[in-house]
Amino acid sequence: MTGLSKRNLKQLFREQIPFFLSIPSLIWQILFFYIPTILIIGLSFVAMTGYGFTLYNYWLCCTVTYAFIIARSLLAAFITSFCCVLIAYPVCYYLALSIERAKNFLLFLLILPFWTSVMVQIYAWFFVLERHGLINTILLRLHLITQPVALLNSSIAVYIVMIYCYLPFMIMPLYAQLEKLDTRLLDASADLGATAWQTFTRITLPLSVPGIRTGFFLVLVPSFGELAIPALLSGGKQLFVGSVISQFFISAREPHLGAAFTVMSCIALAAAVGLMYMAFSWFSTPAERNAL
Amino acid sequence: MRSIRLENVTKSYRGEIILEHLNLTIPSGKIFALLGPSGSGKTTILRLIAGFDMVDSGAIYLGNRNITHVPINQRRVNTVFQHYALFPHMNVFDNVAYSQRIKGLAQDVIEEKVIKVLKTVHLEKHTYKSIQQLSGGQQQRVALARAIINEPDVLLLDEPLAALDPQLRDRMLLELIDLQSTLNTTFVYVTHDQSEALTVADHMAVLNTDGMIEQIGTPKEIYEFPASSFVAQFIGTTNLFFGRLLTHHGQYSIDIPEVGICAVVLPEGKSWREGAQWYISVRPEKITINKKALPHFSNTVQGIVTSIMYQGSFTHYNVKVGDKIMQVFEQNEEHFAKEPIDYDDMVYVQWQKENSVLLER
Repeated sequence: MTGLSKRNLKQLFREQIPFFLSIPSLIWQILFFYIPTILIIGLSFVAMTGYGFTLYNYWLCCTVTYAFIIARSLLAAFITSFCCVLIAYPVCYYLALSIERAKNFLLFLLILPFWTSVMVQIYAWFFVLERHGLINTILLRLHLITQPVALLNSSIAVYIVMIYCYLPFMIMPLYAQLEKLDTRLLDASADLGATAWQTFTRITLPLSVPGIRTGFFLVLVPSFGELAIPALLSGGKQLFVGSVISQFFISAREPHLGAAFTVMSCIALAAAVGLMYMAFSWFSTPAERNAL
Repeated sequence: MRSIRLENVTKSYRGEIILEHLNLTIPSGKIFALLGPSGSGKTTILRLIAGFDMVDSGAIYLGNRNITHVPINQRRVNTVFQHYALFPHMNVFDNVAYSQRIKGLAQDVIEEKVIKVLKTVHLEKHTYKSIQQLSGGQQQRVALARAIINEPDVLLLDEPLAALDPQLRDRMLLELIDLQSTLNTTFVYVTHDQSEALTVADHMAVLNTDGMIEQIGTPKEIYEFPASSFVAQFIGTTNLFFGRLLTHHGQYSIDIPEVGICAVVLPEGKSWREGAQWYISVRPEKITINKKALPHFSNTVQGIVTSIMYQGSFTHYNVKVGDKIMQVFEQNEEHFAKEPIDYDDMVYVQWQKENSVLLER
């Protein structure tokens, strides 16, 4: 009896090995993601005095100013994501479908800047964007401008660097998706009378939606909460969600308000992600599109 | 329904010549099979006709129209792909309707045409299913429907049944033949499977590994009267020997080393001279095998049975004759052979001279 149950126990253990292997990362996730998240949500409902349930924190955050900050961050995240799609798509298309040799090497060259620390990348952009930086020097030499243009401390600078830093997150899933694309489908489309453009809009683009979607969210979500790039390059002129949250917690010492604002931002982001998800699935199923 | 003519077509990929000075006429309104081993350029011919690739030199005519430089989407030619290449993000209806939407037809016209063509391929019950829900045979039918809805002048089929299991393949072959006679479209059927080609084709061309056409003819002509040793070996099974032509009182024979002298009939219109080296091909099913020699056979050789493979409807014997192995297919006409043949038995292998084919190369 005991021998049998011992064997069963061993068998059970073997079957559950994948679970046991995932325990360390599970603990890590619970300790540093789920518990803090629950704490933040809880904190947002606690009165500033430290006792009792309240919605007052949310009431205080419901101002036009904060709404604008969330809206501005969302807009920035969307612009960054869209620009990343627009830049990454032709590059990935070319790499995945148009060339045969040295694909991986070229992809490696694209991803290479990603190996540098983000802070180093941001400071490198100072030298490009500043008053006597690379761009202004070139424009002046070409006599396209007479006075240096103020690029730093503007939202242009924020967008340029955000797009630059997040581009690899778009390129990798998109390239993987396009690489998987069965080129015989493109032959079939042409065979059935489609022009190159029709093939692109009806076959290639809908079939690359999963890659675009993954890349879009990989860029959208972190760029929404991006702290360093807006803080350093907007010259503190424009407030984004990331900087407001850090101010609440670190400078203002208002953790209850900070928690409420964090939860509100997350809800706004989740709503935006949900809407985009629906838009993507609508786009990739022509049956629904044709029904319109 | 149009004929296709390839004139002096040359095509190479990455510096490797696939087709060189190829001339081929595919008659209209028939099923024409292109048969050849892999690497024979049969798929290349198909891709050139469809327009996926352009010729390096030469010309392609569809009917009387030179389509050499016509882009793929303007050729009245459609293709059924080897792995179907169905659009995975569309359902059956949308796949079939694809070319009609490209043409910009009205929705109700498209609907009518799609329903009609799906009926032709017996898929009307699956109109709104997704591609992933279909079996291999059903996907094959969608691919067919998608290609024929455009009413092409020529339908190209690239190994269309290669992915199906044998029983389904036989059924689809018969359906394809039916479909062709209904549509009356020229079918060009590419395959490496000789039995498929023999079944489906009205005419066929056999290509060799160098991309050259070895023979064009009806399946029967090609099987019974192969033009070369390559064709004789590639289509079906054969016994191929090489020997010297002898003549004696107006009777011709071939002296095959180690086997003996075999009576033959000279093909008409061939130039010949005594002592010339010829191939001789004898199909295994045209040979009888017996323990006692039967009278009235023009050729009789003696050998030892080295293997017996029972195949149900027939038995495949290998008989060692001299230093050669001869293959013999004997129909199993009765439950028990009158005279059972066993391993190592001494047997007589006999055939009529009319059933051997003489080949120059």
